[in-house]
Order: sequence, then C-alpha cells, then structure tokens
Amino acid sequence: MSTVLEQIEQQIAKLSNKAVKKNTGTITAIADGVAKLNGLSDVMYNEMVQFPGGAIGVALNLEEDEVGCVVLGDVANLKEGDEVQTTGRLLSVPVGKALLGRVVDTLGRPVDGKGPIDAKEFYPVERIAPGIIVRKSVSQPLFTGIMAIDSMIPIGRGQRELIIGDRGTGKTTIAIDTIINQAKINRVGLASGDKDFRPVYSIYVAVGQKSSNVVRTMSALEAAGALEFTVIVAATAADNPANQYLAPYSGAAIGEWFMENGMDALIVYDDLSKHAVAYRQISLILKRPSGREAFPGDVFYLHSRLLERAARLDGKGSLTALPIIETLAGDLAAYIPTNVISITDGQIFLETDLFNQGIRPAVSVGLSVSRVGSSAQIKATKQVAGKLKGELAQFRELAAFAQFGSDLDAKTKAQLDRGARIVELFKQPQGNPLPIELQAAVLWAMQNNYFEAIEVKKVVAAATQLKDFFLTRKDPLLTKIRTKAALNPELEAELKTACDEWKTTLKA
Amino acid sequence: MSAQSKKAQQLARQLFKTSLADGAVSAERVAGVLEYIEKHQPAHAMQVLKTYQRLVAQEVARSQAVVEHAGQVSAAILQSIAEAMTRRYQRPVSAVAKPNPSLLAGLRVRVGDDVFENSVAGQLATLAAHV
Repeated sequence: MSTVLEQIEQQIAKLSNKAVKKNTGTITAIADGVAKLNGLSDVMYNEMVQFPGGAIGVALNLEEDEVGCVVLGDVANLKEGDEVQTTGRLLSVPVGKALLGRVVDTLGRPVDGKGPIDAKEFYPVERIAPGIIVRKSVSQPLFTGIMAIDSMIPIGRGQRELIIGDRGTGKTTIAIDTIINQAKINRVGLASGDKDFRPVYSIYVAVGQKSSNVVRTMSALEAAGALEFTVIVAATAADNPANQYLAPYSGAAIGEWFMENGMDALIVYDDLSKHAVAYRQISLILKRPSGREAFPGDVFYLHSRLLERAARLDGKGSLTALPIIETLAGDLAAYIPTNVISITDGQIFLETDLFNQGIRPAVSVGLSVSRVGSSAQIKATKQVAGKLKGELAQFRELAAFAQFGSDLDAKTKAQLDRGARIVELFKQPQGNPLPIELQAAVLWAMQNNYFEAIEVKKVVAAATQLKDFFLTRKDPLLTKIRTKAALNPELEAELKTACDEWKTTLKA
Repeated sequence: MSAQSKKAQQLARQLFKTSLADGAVSAERVAGVLEYIEKHQPAHAMQVLKTYQRLVAQEVARSQAVVEHAGQVSAAILQSIAEAMTRRYQRPVSAVAKPNPSLLAGLRVRVGDDVFENSVAGQLATLAAHV
C-alpha cells in the first residue's frame, strides 16, 4: 500500500514542480492606449497579452523588431520597461444566455454592478464569417414594429440593414424600438406555447457613446421589459480607443453564439462612424500608412469582416445586424457611409428635414431600400402594403411640383390627399412598436379608404383610436391575422365589419 | 519612421550579421565592428550603436540561460540546465547563476524572451491572479 501512496506522492510532486513556460517582452513605449513592446518572439497575431496590474492587451502589429499592442484597460500604471507576457489565447469573450439582461464591457466583464456572469463558454472576438455553403437566403421577417419600415423597407433575419442619418434624427430610437419589439414578440410567442416559435435575442453595442446615453438606453429597455432579452456591450466615450475598436467584434461573438446554437439574434452597432474613428486613432499611433481622411487602408475590411458575420445559417440560427452610421449634413457620399452602404443589404435613411417637420420616424422613403425586399415580409403585409412605396414616391414627386402651381386636376389632388394621409399614418411615437397584425389591420383600413373622410390633421388621432379599438375590442381578429399571416376573404370581411364599427364610434 | 532612422537600422542589422560566427556572437568580431564604427563614423552613429547593442543583447540573451535562484544552486544543476536548454533550442546555451532572494524558493530560468518559472514567488503570483 505504501508504494501506491509513494507513487501518488511522486505524481503530485511532478505536477507541483512543473515549470511554467512564459514568453515575455518589455514595454519600450506607450501612448494613447497603444504599447510598443520589445521581445514577445512567440506572440501570435490578435493574441491576448498580459500586462502588469491585470491589464490585457491585443497584439496587432507584429514587426521584425517590435510588437504593437492595444491595451484594454487602465494604462495609467504602465511604464517603460515593464514586463509583458503572452497568454497563448486569442482575445475571447464569455457567451451564452447568462449574459442576457446584463451590461458588459469589451471583454465581457459585467459593468452593471449585478454581480459576476456565470458563462460556461467563450468565443473568440475575431472570427472568420460563415462561408457560402453554410448560409441560407434571408426569407424570415424580423419585425421592427415601425410601420414605415415593416411595410416598405422590410428586414429579414440574417440581413444587414444600415440605419443612417444626421445626428438627432432618431437612429438609435429605431434600433431601440426594434429591440423592444423583439421582446414583445418573444413574450407573446413564448406564452403561446408554439413549439416552432423562435425568439430573437438582442445585442446592443454602444461604441463611443456618452455613458449617460447608455444608461438611458438601458433604462428604456428595462422599462419596456426588453432588457431580459438583451445584452448591452458598452465601450463608452470614456473608454480608450482599443475598447471602442474591439467592442463591435465582442458583440458579434456574443451574437454568433445564439446563431450557432440554433437561435435568432439581432445586433445593433451604435455607431460605426465612431468605431472607424477609434480605429483610425489606433492605426495612426501604430504608424500604419493612412489614406483618405487619414483612415487606414483597411477601414473597408474593418467593417466588411464585422458585418459579414451577420448571416442566416442553414439548419442553425441567424444574426441580423443593424449598423448605425452618423452622417454630416446628410452627406451620404462621405467615405465611411459609402463603404458601409455598399457592405449592407440596404439602408434606412433618416432625414433632418422630415424630422423637423414632425414626421417621425423621419424615414426618407426614396433613399431607403431593403435589398432583401418582399421575401422578408409576411403575405398579409404584402397584400396591404405592396404598392405603398410607389404611391409615396409618386406623392413626393407630385407634392414637389404642386407647390409651384395652384390649379390641380381632381386626380392629382386625390393622389396628394392620399399621400398626405399615408405620411400621417406612418407617424409613430418612440418606444411604441406596433405588432405586425395591427399594422396590417391599420394599413388595410387605409387601403380601403377608411381614412379618406378624415381631415389630414386628424389622421394621427384617428389612427390611434383605430389601433386602440383593435387592441381592446378585436383581439381575436388580430390573433387570427397573426397566426394565418395572410388576409383571406373571410378575414377581410371581418376587418370590414370591425372598421365599419370603428367608424361609427368615431362619428359618435 | 523617417528614412534616416530606417537606414540606421539597416546598417545596425548588417553590422550585427557580421558580428556572428557560427550562429553565435563573437567577441572578436564585435570588437572589430566597434573599431570600424569609431574610424568611419556613420550618420546617426548613436542610433546605429543603440540598435546594434539591442540586437547583440538579444542574441546574447538567446544563448545564455540566466538561472535566478533563491537558495543554493550547484554547478551540476547549472550544467544540467545548460544541457536541457541546448537540447531544447538546438543551439549552444550556457547557464549563468544569478541570486534572487525575492523568489523565496525555487528557480527561474530566462533564455531570451522565454521564462521558465518554477519558484514559490511565481506560484504565489499565479494563485493571486486566480483568486
């Protein structure tokens, strides 16, 4: 027996005396969150590097003599000559459902004060996007709850739809409303007990945002009950550029977990303009050659490799991306906007003029497009909104001509009146996404001239009444539209009866 | 990086290559290089010399195992470490002892950028990082 014990002791001794090999280097220079290192001969590209004091870095430039490394964390205590170690691991973040309802930083560490996150798995931050074979075309809708978007610029699961516009035009609001709508749909779907129901989990990545904005977003999501289906990745303006540069990739890794595990996820990058600026800063400090507007040559790849990670996978789930870009004075032809427009599958363009006119969401129908098109729409929406985009475009054209002349023929006048009513109908307050069945019902009423007799100024109020009427008194009809996802003569007859009933209440 | 500093680095690398004999830094050759620089002082001589010093120091560190130790370390242990490192790196590596009481107990062997940690201080640091 004693020999057995000796053997075990020897084994323990072997383990406890095992030397640990580390590859080390020293800091030769450090500035603005970027460290130049001497040594680290074994370091890999994108490998995590351990700085003294617990800070983590990522090796980005591997040169003959030195290694350029971005530092994710407090650089205040780092100095020239400090020893740095390789970790043998690529930068990775915790993933999984444990992150839902939490606010994390670029490295997936909680920053909301709700305690540690019990994540079982880690995914690398940088990952090659899914290839061609594993992908499936986008055909399942992802409802934003915003009538103007769902009816005219439909978004599908796995699509990349850019939200673009000047500052203060409601870009973030659209993204937040979409997240809130997913939570609402999830709740209804999960309560229905439908086995085929696929919930959509959301990830909101704040890049270079003010901390107060992140708090506001978090509160808005919490108030709407959407936080429990959402992960917020925050790299605020106070974080160093390295964190801001890597945050969208961390968010994508968190989203990929849902996609790889047969679930659907939505990711919002708010915003990629600031992301490009953070990357420009890092690149300039790393002395990479600069190009147009001082952005480095690989700024296109910066966004294309990120957005390519959004996909719908065959036999698995999907990751839908809503990147946000802020333009200056509506300039869509600037460097970063054109890059991202060309990468994405369409854009929702928000106009300052429309916003100031009180048309909110200020979606410019003419400049907005969804390249996935009607394949990401349910039949009911196609039936009621198929021609809406054309009608609205015609209305804008006519309205532009009409302002020069006073004599209009009856047909033109009718078209203008109808267009003005559609515009009014699409006005929607923030934080109030509409279920798709309600949108279909309201649009059906509009297509069947129930708003024609109502004064243009009163259309918004009437539409609100109609929505309330359907929600409070015609819930079974809405449920039927939702489950059938198409309008048949029977449902149309029911809609007609309901709208007639509503009209009588309106008169009263 | 300016063109001048690039040239200085290139020259330093050339001088470094000439300082090697059979893949190791030769004291004679280094002395020859220094003499040459003194006689034909290049532009940015300071930068050339600093880069040259860094390259030589790196190479010397690669062929030398610095054995930091807290207690006693015998010549036989140093010899076995030198042999093990020579086998591992497939180049001649000599071992040099360097007392370091802050290790508390055990050894730390440094060869170039690689550090082989087997000291109590190192284990405590690992423990502290995981707690």
